[in-house]
Amino acid sequence: MAESGSSVEFSGTLTSSNLPPARTRIFKIIVIGDSGVGKTCLTYRFCAGRFPEKTEATIGVDFRERLVEIDGEKIKIQLWDTAGQERFRKSMVQHYYRNVHAVVFVYDVTNAASFRSLPAWIEECKQHALGTEVPRILVGNKCDLQDSVQVGTDVAQQFADTHSMPLFETSAKNPNSQEDGGNSDHVEAIFMTVAHKLKSQKPLVLSQPPVGSGGTVNLSKGGTDGGEGSRSWGCSGGC
Amino acid sequence: MKRLKNKKQKAGVEVNGNGSVTREPDCGRKQKLSEINQALISDPVDIETLRRAAASKGGLLTDELRRKVWPKLLNINVYDLPHKPGRDVRENHKDFNQVVLDVTRSMKRFPKGMPASERAVLQEQMTDIILEVLKRTPQLHYYQGYHDVAVTLLLVVGERMTIAMLDTLSNHHLRDFMDPTMDSTKHILNYLMPILEQVDRELHDFMIRAEVGTIFALSWLITWYGHVLSDFKHTMRLYDFFLASHPLMPIYLAATIVLHREKEVKKTECDMAMVHHLLSRIPQDLPYELLIGQAQDLFDQYPPSLLAKRAALQPRKSLSISTFQAFQLATLHQRPDTVLQRLTKAQGSSTSRQAPRQSGLEAALPQEQGRLWGKGNRMVKMAVWGLSATLGAAVFAVAQTAMDWGPEVLLQLF
Ligand SMILES: Nc1nc2c(ncn2[C@@H]2O[C@H](COP(=O)(O)OP(=O)(O)OP(=O)(O)O)[C@@H](O)[C@H]2O)c(=O)[nH]1
Ligand SMILES: [Mg+2]
Repeated sequence: MAESGSSVEFSGTLTSSNLPPARTRIFKIIVIGDSGVGKTCLTYRFCAGRFPEKTEATIGVDFRERLVEIDGEKIKIQLWDTAGQERFRKSMVQHYYRNVHAVVFVYDVTNAASFRSLPAWIEECKQHALGTEVPRILVGNKCDLQDSVQVGTDVAQQFADTHSMPLFETSAKNPNSQEDGGNSDHVEAIFMTVAHKLKSQKPLVLSQPPVGSGGTVNLSKGGTDGGEGSRSWGCSGGC
Repeated sequence: MKRLKNKKQKAGVEVNGNGSVTREPDCGRKQKLSEINQALISDPVDIETLRRAAASKGGLLTDELRRKVWPKLLNINVYDLPHKPGRDVRENHKDFNQVVLDVTRSMKRFPKGMPASERAVLQEQMTDIILEVLKRTPQLHYYQGYHDVAVTLLLVVGERMTIAMLDTLSNHHLRDFMDPTMDSTKHILNYLMPILEQVDRELHDFMIRAEVGTIFALSWLITWYGHVLSDFKHTMRLYDFFLASHPLMPIYLAATIVLHREKEVKKTECDMAMVHHLLSRIPQDLPYELLIGQAQDLFDQYPPSLLAKRAALQPRKSLSISTFQAFQLATLHQRPDTVLQRLTKAQGSSTSRQAPRQSGLEAALPQEQGRLWGKGNRMVKMAVWGLSATLGAAVFAVAQTAMDWGPEVLLQLF
């Protein structure tokens, strides 16, 4: 399982017939952040296409996946949805930090404490040898609750810049951004952005506010230099 | 949960909780019922028989019996139950936010047909119960999943009995999970692979190669499967078993589940994600009775001490394991409920371990109902008699618990 330079790996023989053919590339993305910020909802929305009616506390690690096509290549995106409660971090979730290709940090825009926890989560990642070379993004969730926002976009953007991460603000519940007539799905775009990033290992620019048509997201590769935070491949404040 | 309780009432017969296997012939069931009732009125209570009944086919058969036997398995005096927690239990509690977050998201654990208002009442109780138990023993730390245990108990035995049971469980069977860190929990999980190694070397080696770890079984262990089973009757059946067993038994059951799925596992790609994915999704139609029997066999064949030696498990003090023997011994000297009632009344509250307790039937009743009872309210007495007459023995125990469950649970049960 040990891989270094390449951030993708090839799967071996697959058993079930509805799985993609062998050698489908798998992108493993771990999703972390405080309990209740909406990690389960976000991963569920991306993999099942809708907001889950009922979520339950995540105990340990849950696993979701989805097959996508990027530039004609079928790629399996594996999302590791982790438990938020602090006690699970240290001795439990550890095991799953290994071999992930990207990290998604999530906070809840209506919960300042979840934003204040971010440095601890980032530190946690570093301890598991997931430094800045691994693509990392920051997601502020629950943007639909506009009246109870506690973490402003500017503060979050500053933080993201400091840590060289792109920032995305979204809502797992109602991810359609208002500007483009509610047609696109931000959550979709966010994970697809990570996938594109991984596929190319070149920085990406969201050319437009993502336009969704039939579940596909149009993303175009950017030509700028490597992974420098939101400036180069992020978007923010879109909700 | 499939509206088990409502159905039970409509059909006018008790539905047993023996899961997916075919029912025992009625005579076997009848005999088991009478054995259990006999064990309950023996003096001292015949705890060995109760334990055997809880583990053997069908478990404790009915909710009615669970309410009487569960407390005995945990050495709880039903006439000396803790009070409902006051509002102040929520004040300045470090775990308050997390508990509320988890309780709010526990909707799936309630029967589908339950009115939202009723569920809301139970969820409030759940929060109070958890906070109360944590407050009693400051060394205990809340973990996500603890609420799944609380709700299982609450749906069967009602608020005050749940406090008593959860209190005992937290200090014994669940104790290792409640440390400030999960290191002890990890230690308990470490028993899983050695069991597999003893039984199916090939499967064991496959899982080692896949580096799957044991986190797939974490929620099974710390919630006694309450978090992962969607049919409540299976959950209750397993709780019968675990309440009567060694604290490590959930791990032995985990082993039997993995072994049961051996073929599927070996066919999977030998990759952490794939194997974790497969195993963490527990099939809902497992042959529970069979697996319970196998778990017991495994336990007898490869007891924890032997595993610890063979697998060179790092010695670590497990409070759950080290206090288990004494705990089991203590359960041997329980008096039947009729005697307990008399004794508890006579002793008064001064001897209670926890300060906010009263004794006797009146005390065990919620204030208002207690008064009604005292005045000899005929309606209440008759209702209680109606419940208990069919059961024969331990009339007062039924009366007490029935009243104690409070109207909302009564509504749900009867
Ligand atoms: N309004 C709103 N609520 C959300 C959104 N995302 C999640 N929630 C709610 O927030 C609560 C927590 O969501 P989860 O996805 O379970 O949180 P989590 O981060 O997985 O929490 P843990 O599993 O405990 O770590 C749930 O009640 C969700 O319904 C959102 O975008 N908008
Ligand atoms: Mg979750």
